[in-house]
Amino acid sequence: MIKLFFVTDIHGSNVCYRKFLNALPIYGADVAILLGDLTGKVLVPLVEKGGDQWECTLMGQHREIGSQEELAAIKKTIENAGYYWVHQTRDEFDATRSDPEKVDALFKGLVFQRVQEWLDLADERLAGKPFQMYMAPGNDDWFVIDEMIDDAKLVHPCDGRVVDIDGHEMITSSYANPTPWQTPRELSEEDLEVKLRELCAMVKNHATAIYNFHVPPYGYSLDLCPKLDENLTMSAEEKIHAGSIGAKRVIEENQPLLGLHGHIHESRGAQKAGRTLLINPGSEYSEGILKGVIIMLDKKKIKDYVFTSG
Amino acid sequence: MAEELAFARKASGLVRGLSMWDAFGVGFMNQGLTPSIVVMTSLGVGVYTGGNMIIAVVLSVILAGIGMPIVWGVLGGSMPRSGGEYIYNTRILHPIIGIAESFGNAFVWIMWIYVLAPWVADPGFTMLASFTGWQSLADWATQPYATFILASIANVVAFCFVVFGIKIFARVQKVIMTIGIGGCAILCVVLSVKAGGFQEAWNSMAAQHGSLDYTSFIAAVEKYAGEAMPTTWNWFDSLGVMVAASWAFAYAYCMAFIAGEVKRPDKTIILANLFAVVVPGIFCLWTAIALYQVDFNFLSAAFYADNLENYAWTIEGYKLPFSSNYVGLGFIMAPYKLLGIIYALSYMAFALWWVALSYLAFPRIIFAWGMDRMGPKWFTDINPRFASPVKNHILCLILGEIGIALYVFWTNSPLQGLAVTGLEVVTVFGVTAIAALVFPYRKRARGVWESSPYRNWRLFGIPVVTLGAIVDLIYLGILFVFFFVMPDLRDFTTTGVVFFACIWLAGIVWYFIWKQRSKTVGVDVSMTYGELPPE
Repeated sequence: MIKLFFVTDIHGSNVCYRKFLNALPIYGADVAILLGDLTGKVLVPLVEKGGDQWECTLMGQHREIGSQEELAAIKKTIENAGYYWVHQTRDEFDATRSDPEKVDALFKGLVFQRVQEWLDLADERLAGKPFQMYMAPGNDDWFVIDEMIDDAKLVHPCDGRVVDIDGHEMITSSYANPTPWQTPRELSEEDLEVKLRELCAMVKNHATAIYNFHVPPYGYSLDLCPKLDENLTMSAEEKIHAGSIGAKRVIEENQPLLGLHGHIHESRGAQKAGRTLLINPGSEYSEGILKGVIIMLDKKKIKDYVFTSG
Repeated sequence: MAEELAFARKASGLVRGLSMWDAFGVGFMNQGLTPSIVVMTSLGVGVYTGGNMIIAVVLSVILAGIGMPIVWGVLGGSMPRSGGEYIYNTRILHPIIGIAESFGNAFVWIMWIYVLAPWVADPGFTMLASFTGWQSLADWATQPYATFILASIANVVAFCFVVFGIKIFARVQKVIMTIGIGGCAILCVVLSVKAGGFQEAWNSMAAQHGSLDYTSFIAAVEKYAGEAMPTTWNWFDSLGVMVAASWAFAYAYCMAFIAGEVKRPDKTIILANLFAVVVPGIFCLWTAIALYQVDFNFLSAAFYADNLENYAWTIEGYKLPFSSNYVGLGFIMAPYKLLGIIYALSYMAFALWWVALSYLAFPRIIFAWGMDRMGPKWFTDINPRFASPVKNHILCLILGEIGIALYVFWTNSPLQGLAVTGLEVVTVFGVTAIAALVFPYRKRARGVWESSPYRNWRLFGIPVVTLGAIVDLIYLGILFVFFFVMPDLRDFTTTGVVFFACIWLAGIVWYFIWKQRSKTVGVDVSMTYGELPPE
């Protein structure tokens, strides 16, 4: 039996990533899987006001910073929430704001820098340890991230291929069906299904396989999320299914042993689809809470699982 | 509006949809308002006849308004998850304390169905029938089998409001809230405007029904009680009234069950909790001020009589078609059927929604147990069609029905409601206040405290959460003394505590059974309670 620790959607949160690495010996995991989305969504410029003073907008609040200590604290808060910071003068901020390409370039630089820092930290923490760690991006993550994971020393890539987890074939897909945000890795339902079928065709024994799809299958309790209106404002009152119909079809047809999913942060839970156990550990990265699931995996069956929150 | 100094890129995965008003709605509706004012008057002044409602309300608003929002707001904002106080107590105090307390609270929520669903029938439905002049229907509703039928209907309706998902729940809540607040506000206006001429109104209606006039009623109640009704207030009784008034102020904590779903939980929960104390405070104060236009000893007599086993009809010569609670007094002041219907519907709406909130809380409590592997896996099943834990709701419905049968055919005492509050004081409120008190100082919760948005909130160097917990404990201490020390309620609540101690014990046994069960399959459940080191 092996103990699998699965986490998803930490969206750039430094504190969640560090907790993830620290969790491996604490939970006694043999194999750890960190599925995307790996990268954050918000960049907070710390705009200089002269002297030891800065201003910024953090979580919708205008913040005035009056000392180096406050500055250090706010940088940590920004990083832990999965955001990025940059020092800018007022002129630099205005120039960036008026040029979407500059915003994009700034974002990419900071995002790639953090992913590299994470991979380096994993190399440092995992060296000489018995844990195996797999990492894959999600639909929010740019494609350069794949190359960075491929180049890592101790973190194993798993997206778009079959990897062996103690005799279980695991296939991973970072793609999602269309979202309202038009993120980097989206495919139409038809194209996604084709891609997933190609991936499934690489599996020899579905009965013991793990399908590690970022997007959950459509119509289960793991893909329920708040309905969005035309302004992308969430409805508190109505939930809809946002999973992939293609993922649903291949899972229901092939009946793998285990389905590991993410993407929908709100729908933490587990559900059976025939003989397949589907799990979405959910995400509360913005609160610095590492949500995960530990799965006790025998050669031919799932012995048990337990959700974690740390 | 401040300039936006931030850039966002196109990325998915937004979380948390409930606004402060949604959270306020859940908290406020659990304060009850119209039935809570009935409780404050009939169960509060009815027991502590020298109690001053204005003082009781002001003290409650100050103590509960400071203590409750800080305790529940800080804990909910620091651990924004939808498991209620179970999350806080397991993480801060100890998993065994957390599960035992939570076990007790799960039973409390079932007991609220057991008390409150029958209240929808009697006095809710009976008032409605009486005010419309349909006395035979009112009499029928007081029969045990009829109360059981009506309470069961209320239970099933409340179940349906919640089981089909948050969309239906949120929409119905708006309607119920409008009916409830609207009726209570109209009653407040009538009391304010008409209470000056109450004696004439009472005598006129008494003559119409051949009942006791104003003076004779006071005398008859005094004869029954064997003592004179007080003509002025005293401090002791005023503190005693706070026990019953707690129904309007201590229950906004219900929003802890949706903490994982609200936007900006660090601000939302604390503010929504505060508003959910202040708003009922305004209504209670308004009602009390308006009622004090009537003689003090008459109000004491009326509420004393309404708290008797057979309500005011226990008093010889009392023949009005409705009892002498504050809603009935309001109807006497302006005896229009339409107003009576509005008042009765307001009472029924709040009582019904209390039952519905049990369906919000109980399934979420056991869902949280299931997630921590402290219960069977089906506790965590979410129905994909309705996006709700349907199996847990059905379990709640069955347990609620058993409870209703026990209440109607076995105990049938209005004081059961206060007994449940007494149980909550020593478990849910008390344990959680202690968790808040020690939160900044507990080693096992250091990681949570260090990442809490309130860690820098201090007054005189002391964490605000600790100070808030002290205020909360003072409030709970007053309630505790009257529940468990003073003779008026002591025997009643002590019996409940013995029962509750058994529930706690069952909770501890439950913890060890599931811990052992998980160990046999290689799961150490303690890993689900600890905070991971962040560095």
